Amino acid sequence: MLNLHHVYKSFDGTPVLTDISLQVDDGEIVSILGPSGCGKTTLLNLILGTVTADEGDILYNGEVLTHMPMEKRGFNIVFQDYALFPNLNVWQNITYGLKNRPGVSSAQEVEELIDLLGLRAHLDKSIDQLSGGQKQRTALARTLVMKPRILLLDEPLSALDGVIKESIKERIKAIARDFHLTTIIVTHDPEEALTLSDRVLIIENGKISQYAAPSEIVHHPRNDFVRRFILNQLEIKRSNIYALFGEQPAAAV
Amino acid sequence: MNQRNLELKVIFWVITGLFGLFLVLPIGVLLLKSLGDGWPTLFFFADVLGQPGFLQALGNSFTVAALAAVLATALAFCMAYAVHYTALPRRFKSALIAVASLPMYLPTITYGFAIIYSFGRQGLITRLLGRQLFDIYGMAGLLVGYVIYTVPVAFLLIHNTMGFVDKKPLIVSKVMGDRPLATFRIAVLRPLLGTLAGAFIQAFFLCFTDFGIPASVGGGYEVIATLLYNRMLGGIPDFSRGAVIAMVMLIPSVGSICLLRYLERFNIRYSRIDRAELTDSRGRDAGWGTAGALICVAVLSIFAVIFLVPCVEAWPYQTGLTGEHFRAVLADRQLVAVYIHSLELALLTAAVGTLVAYGAALITARSTLPQRYKGAVESFSLITNAIPGMVLGVAYMFLFSGSSLQNTMVLMVLCNIVHYFSTPYLMMKNTLSKMNAGWETTAMLMGDSWLKTILRVVTPNAMSSLIEVFSYYFINAMVTISALIFIAGARTMVLTTMIKQLQYVNRFNEVFVLSLLILFTNLIAKGFFSWLAKKAPGRTK
Repeated sequence: MLNLHHVYKSFDGTPVLTDISLQVDDGEIVSILGPSGCGKTTLLNLILGTVTADEGDILYNGEVLTHMPMEKRGFNIVFQDYALFPNLNVWQNITYGLKNRPGVSSAQEVEELIDLLGLRAHLDKSIDQLSGGQKQRTALARTLVMKPRILLLDEPLSALDGVIKESIKERIKAIARDFHLTTIIVTHDPEEALTLSDRVLIIENGKISQYAAPSEIVHHPRNDFVRRFILNQLEIKRSNIYALFGEQPAAAV
Repeated sequence: MNQRNLELKVIFWVITGLFGLFLVLPIGVLLLKSLGDGWPTLFFFADVLGQPGFLQALGNSFTVAALAAVLATALAFCMAYAVHYTALPRRFKSALIAVASLPMYLPTITYGFAIIYSFGRQGLITRLLGRQLFDIYGMAGLLVGYVIYTVPVAFLLIHNTMGFVDKKPLIVSKVMGDRPLATFRIAVLRPLLGTLAGAFIQAFFLCFTDFGIPASVGGGYEVIATLLYNRMLGGIPDFSRGAVIAMVMLIPSVGSICLLRYLERFNIRYSRIDRAELTDSRGRDAGWGTAGALICVAVLSIFAVIFLVPCVEAWPYQTGLTGEHFRAVLADRQLVAVYIHSLELALLTAAVGTLVAYGAALITARSTLPQRYKGAVESFSLITNAIPGMVLGVAYMFLFSGSSLQNTMVLMVLCNIVHYFSTPYLMMKNTLSKMNAGWETTAMLMGDSWLKTILRVVTPNAMSSLIEVFSYYFINAMVTISALIFIAGARTMVLTTMIKQLQYVNRFNEVFVLSLLILFTNLIAKGFFSWLAKKAPGRTK
């Protein structure tokens, strides 16, 4: 269980995050959603440990992590651009961490991960030969080998197109379910956030706007920002699709 | 995080120590020296500036350097244009590029002798044409030498930018109904303006501070470089006045580099390179093809004597072919020792220099160290870029004379590393900053220490640039003379300083044989390093 208590962060005197308090339960998928510049990436970095909070505390299972260095927290991240090592092939990327911590995943577990993520056929390929979706899956596998206590994903779908997006979504859900893995995702896309996660944390100008389950957000938006920024987009999409299929959209929520 | 910064801080202090001792301190000593031996005085400045010959030489330097820079930039532009904006055959383009960069592999002092043996009274070209084209000992000779010297630099700059310039506006402009000249102006000249100005200034700086060419063909036409050399190493050395001349030489150099940095802001950066289809135009291809070929022939004809002279018995009187001069050089133990010494110097310079440039670039491109650290490293790069080799050499002479470093290989290696630091550093910084920003974080989350990340991830992916930097240092160490002439001792002689010595005793066959040795060594090295770099991962293409 991850807890943030009244976390504040500013850069050069400009507040980026103000009074952030939240809880993420074990095995839960939480999306952090907001427009660019709202502070969602800073929040991710605070949890990861590359940025230190000015005020407030970060706790995991009651243990205070606020000033613990990144590599000791036991969390792990998949970056938006994957940060794969191009001098190594897929297999070497996936098993990178085992050189440092040989026992962290057994050989069988690694094999299972490779199959789960459908990477068996690509193990000898170099990184340049992979498609966007394959890169994403390789980066996921590399991270999962380390058995992180929390998995952080920075815009995991933004570089992927249509169908691949949906399949990666399903995989992320499957991983969270199978490994009972707490997963925190940063995204700017409401559709992505609301269809992928158990709960969505909406951030506006460094403050929590609403933190609730997707259906709650759709049916009971807490304020005008959620209505305008989040729901409006979805409604436009919905009416476009209805129009495309020649049906009448239901009345606006 | 803290561990990582500790290692980077150690690197930072090593580099700062290096540049403090071998850049800042020598230049400081030089400044003090120019103010006299005792109480600081401007007497020597006033005295040097008051001498009638001095202002004349300074003016000469400005005139000839500026003229050469204009010519070199224009020629380089023609060659680059032929490469990028015509449908000439690929082989022809490759040949153009090769010829344009050829002079880089030879020391400038060789150009001077090549000019003498081409355009002199008994020169090859003079004999072929039946008359001497111009008086080589003076402005014309200098001009030809400087142009050859700086065409490669100007060409590479323009060639590089042209590769990035968007070719689409060419089509847009034509479709809009522009006349050819208007199209040329808006789609070619305008985006290149910054680079053309940059190429001019860079060429000017090189000519203004070069020593090799005036040393061989300057003759009665005094320039500031020869003035400085004669003051320091001539018949009656005068160190205080020498220091003043060095300081005076420094001012335009610093000015031109500042201007260059300022101009860099106007350079247009395109992220995507589109291969726009050029329209077919036989006239255009024929015109630029002829221009490019003429320039190539001109450059090659001047260099032809370097190959010819040592291959004949006694130019120009006995023109039978012979391998005797090569045999003589190879049998001369002293010359062979100098060659080996040059190789050692170049390899050491390249090895240590690459490490220094890599460390410095890691600090600025891949660390979270505070801005003041990064600013310090940047300023080292800026200062080394602006200091002429001759000024550095003179400064070393003052600081290290009498010390145990005097005339040692170590000092010469350090001098080269400092002298040429700027370009390798910028090359490394460019590569490192293009790399994925998440690597260190990712690797650390996988349990790597900072050093392990650098060794396992960053270095393998930077390998191709590291090799290029190594090659850059190697080649420059092989051809440089300006700084080394002041600090090389009798036992630490390198090929270029040896050539200067041989000039005194008129042993020109040896001069050309040694020049060829440098050329072939560099070509082999370049070929080998390019091959290595191509094989290495992380090619910046």
